[in-house]
Amino acid sequence: MAKKIGRREFVKKSAKIGVSAAIGSSFIYELVDGSVHAFGKEKIDIAVVSGSDYIKSTISAVELLGGVRKFIPKDSKVAILPNTQSRHPGTYTKPEIVRAVIRMSKIAGAREINCLSWLARKYWEATGLAQAVEEEGANLKLIESSDESLFKPVPIPQGKALKEARIMKEFFNNDVFINMPITKDHAGNKFTGTMKNLMGLNFSKNNRTFHKEDWKTNRSSIEYLDQCIADLNTIIKPTLCFVDATEFITTNGPFGPGILAKLQKIVAGVDRVAIDAYCTTLWGMEPQDIIMINKGYEHNLGEINLEKVKIKEIKI
Amino acid sequence: MAILFKQLSDSAGDRLTRVEKRMRRNFILSIALFVSAMSFLLYSSEAPSTFQQELLKYLPREGKTGEWRRDGLPQEYRGEDLYSYINGGAEIYHEYGFKQVIVQDYIKKNGKSISLEIFEMASSESAYGIYTFKTNQEGEELALGDKAQLADYYMNFWKGYFLVTLTGFDEDEETVKGLKEIAQAVDAKIKSRGKEPAFVSLLPKKDLIEQSIKYFKGNLGLYNSYPFFAQDVFSIEEGIKGDYKAGYSVFIISYRANEESKKKFNAVKTSFKESQKYKNFKLVDEKLFQVEDIKGKLIFISHSKKCFLIVVGTINKARAKKIFDIII
Repeated sequence: MAKKIGRREFVKKSAKIGVSAAIGSSFIYELVDGSVHAFGKEKIDIAVVSGSDYIKSTISAVELLGGVRKFIPKDSKVAILPNTQSRHPGTYTKPEIVRAVIRMSKIAGAREINCLSWLARKYWEATGLAQAVEEEGANLKLIESSDESLFKPVPIPQGKALKEARIMKEFFNNDVFINMPITKDHAGNKFTGTMKNLMGLNFSKNNRTFHKEDWKTNRSSIEYLDQCIADLNTIIKPTLCFVDATEFITTNGPFGPGILAKLQKIVAGVDRVAIDAYCTTLWGMEPQDIIMINKGYEHNLGEINLEKVKIKEIKI
Repeated sequence: MAILFKQLSDSAGDRLTRVEKRMRRNFILSIALFVSAMSFLLYSSEAPSTFQQELLKYLPREGKTGEWRRDGLPQEYRGEDLYSYINGGAEIYHEYGFKQVIVQDYIKKNGKSISLEIFEMASSESAYGIYTFKTNQEGEELALGDKAQLADYYMNFWKGYFLVTLTGFDEDEETVKGLKEIAQAVDAKIKSRGKEPAFVSLLPKKDLIEQSIKYFKGNLGLYNSYPFFAQDVFSIEEGIKGDYKAGYSVFIISYRANEESKKKFNAVKTSFKESQKYKNFKLVDEKLFQVEDIKGKLIFISHSKKCFLIVVGTINKARAKKIFDIII
């Protein structure tokens, strides 16, 4: 069992980094003190927290996984990748979840927190994410999507369809990567989650080729798209993933509008395949239904069989 | 115009006071400006349309949308540029035959917002198809356009070559009322009408859930209804699907000629037989076979003349054959 700190020591530490007023130190203290078994020997692969307070749920999820310091070293530079593609309801990562991750990164002693995107600022503003990032004291690093010089060519030795990616150079200036997609429907391949979100780091023209082999034919090659996504995931491994499964579209994705599922869940973990596999079950699918998840499993990126995955679900 | 103006002024000049002269001059100037403006508008509407003019004219004018006012400038995307608006979501629109879209936000004084998208498609069938793709069984049908559906916080309607989508950002009554107001204003501006593809009438009517009908123009559309295969095994160019109250779905895929349909049937039969996604393949006769998907759902596939006929779901062979007989 990890060391539990007393209330006095906790408040002292929180005050030092000026966090207590922002987060609600009593809540954090409760977590540390026992309402959630934060530092047990139990190894959890996926933490699922339900509740209407998304900040609390996000914090609880990482506590179930062993606490934020397990993932974010002191003085590290943290890159965060939320999904901010559209402002339609149920299509973008909720600002509260991003706020919680920024605050936790600060608790862990991160030196710098950077939200990365090649989408224009107007998308960030329309979703409220720009305001959330800036109010929490993180940096919004927007990369010009049409400037190829801002992206670094990265070979994909294990790529079966995709042989080279173009990852934004800014990404490589960070020590920790937190992947923050929203899970939702996608007309291109029926599902999006942690693996697909990495397209947000990749040069958009390169992404375009996922949908269209050789730029010319077979626009509807779903398997090709999913293979490219799985290939992309072999060169980038997030430190931690938080999936927004609070309110998301189950039709007309990725842009919406569509039918909303309102589950109020935050899903967190490291195993991308397992997390995406779990998320498919949230709206009546199975992991094997999604080619991308199968391809990720074939690449040994994680576990597709949920019976082999330790999932802890709590409700706040 | 200047000469006419001068002549008119001069002929009355001897009899009028200075004030009266000024009033007469202003009046004539107003007439001249009005005529110039009308000439410009007339010329514009007859000149070859630019992209910008084609869709701009369908945006409701201020005053036609109640208290909802335009918020910012419209955005427009054409052809492949749709990808920069909706990324991977663009593919399904291209499959249906996307041409261009205009996007305009509307706002009310209390901060409520509605987003309007007017998609122009390649044909009325294309617009109908993408309309069926975006709507669902739960929505409320409205009397608008050729077909219209209201869901919790958004609305779609199809009219002629156009699909119109309106998105609110909450489910309040005020927002829903706003969706209808703006939609009606757009509807009034689109004059052309469309017709459902004749092909749709092949679906048996008994117990058909009308709002479940999907019209496909390619494999992505089909895959989103039922993921038969990730590859375009059917080489689908036109298809329809309807769900039935008894718990099964009927798919009809059309080919250009009987021979093409027959050839494709043999290839598809092999694909189902060899695929790991399906089990218990059974050839019933030369025009009908059945399989089970990995979840145990029964699938019956037949062909007749130019069409493939497929039934998926809670159904037995005898019933499936009856349905095929009705369609043929």
